[in-house]
Amino acid sequence: MSDVEVFSTLNEELERLAAKSKARAIAVAVHDLETGFRFSLLGDRWFHAASTIKVAMLLAIFRAVDEGRLQLDDSLHVRNRFFSVADGSLFHLSPDRDATPELYQTVGRTAKISALAHAMISGSSNLATNLLLDFVGVEYARKVLRDAEVHEVELRRGVEDHAAHERGINNEATANGLVTLLSAIRGDFLTDESKQEVIRILLEQRFNSMIPARLPAHAAVAHKTGEISTACHDVGIVYLPERQPYIAVILTEFEPDRNGRRETVAAISEVIYRSVVGRDPNPNAS
Amino acid sequence: MRVEVLRAIDGLDLPEEYRAFLRPGETETDSSRNVHRLPRFFYEVRSWPEAQELRLAPHFTLAELMLVDCREARPLLSQFPHYVPCAIIILARLLEDFRHEVGAPVFIAANGGYRSPAHQIEGAKSIHAWGTAANIYRIGDTFLCDTKSIEKHRTIAASLSPAVFVRPFGREKGQTSDHLHIDLGYVRLTPRECSEAS
Repeated sequence: MSDVEVFSTLNEELERLAAKSKARAIAVAVHDLETGFRFSLLGDRWFHAASTIKVAMLLAIFRAVDEGRLQLDDSLHVRNRFFSVADGSLFHLSPDRDATPELYQTVGRTAKISALAHAMISGSSNLATNLLLDFVGVEYARKVLRDAEVHEVELRRGVEDHAAHERGINNEATANGLVTLLSAIRGDFLTDESKQEVIRILLEQRFNSMIPARLPAHAAVAHKTGEISTACHDVGIVYLPERQPYIAVILTEFEPDRNGRRETVAAISEVIYRSVVGRDPNPNAS
Repeated sequence: MRVEVLRAIDGLDLPEEYRAFLRPGETETDSSRNVHRLPRFFYEVRSWPEAQELRLAPHFTLAELMLVDCREARPLLSQFPHYVPCAIIILARLLEDFRHEVGAPVFIAANGGYRSPAHQIEGAKSIHAWGTAANIYRIGDTFLCDTKSIEKHRTIAASLSPAVFVRPFGREKGQTSDHLHIDLGYVRLTPRECSEAS
């Protein structure tokens, strides 16, 4: 199939899925590193980034490592106390709203930066994210994104900063921006050592009910999910042994707490696979 | 291991690399514009295992009172010997008395004991640079992160001596909301074998 045909087929399938899901909005961006094929549906629409912003944080942490600002073996004081970027007010995170509550057991002690980076991604730890952001600083993280020419990912604050949220200060991203971010991770922005470590961390993602869910078992996905009441996202790099990887970004917006959101993202991922790779991911499935 | 094994040294005799971070005997102005002189005499700590083994008081090792994170100046973080102000043994005694009063293990937070004047958290403006302050984040199974737990233990700590200062619970400057800050003021200790001449 030509790129035009792939584009057209993908577009049609996604529109069908979007209509069926009753999503408020679905944005998809794809970059196939095997063929150079690119696809974007609502790729410039801004979404609340939810936990996908943690990929931007990961890039900032490893850039700081490459610049000698910190070392992965460094220890950081684990403290559940943060200040809002909106008004400097103090806030605490709730373990009940964090996917990695066990990290709260280390409050008062120290944790390695490498362990926090891992927890931030594989376990989507809000506490690890805020600790790392508090340490490197929002301005530094934003500078890293600018230096990497990632212009459509806006990192403005830590997680659960409600005072900032009430004032409309949120982390936001477009699907195209997140493809650029993942491309920066794969490119030469980081040293080879850091790049490999970042991808290894993303590959160890514990939440696999979206992009990887309907892909063949031999697919390895370096990815990060993001969910809040109205948003359900997954962004990642899909590795297949027989070909170069492809980058897939799926951002969705729904009415609050609507069911079937993850299934929609998984179905979109399957459609992307079929279009990019050219075959059914699970041909023997009934 | 007992405290007698520690070697007291005059900070002014340390190599320039250390003096730049420890600033022995230099003056510093606090947030109330009071001027204080930083510690001059230090105990030399040769290794982390030594700090872990060395008990300054029956229930407190030196390591507990000198655990810092990577906000500490790099040479003071990653290489030994380390140097801690001699007054840290008085802090350990206070903590032991406090532990006796509360009847439960007392846990000192990272960055919550001695921090050098070069530490990125407040630096020399912090009383932690005197080795006479401790941040307690947990007592027994109780994490000190609310009004009740902090104020209860604040009262106990303050009753130990008029010299003890404990920050109140709160979210403003000078208050704490996730630990109990306890300190003895800007105490400096000169060991008997050391001279303050020069």
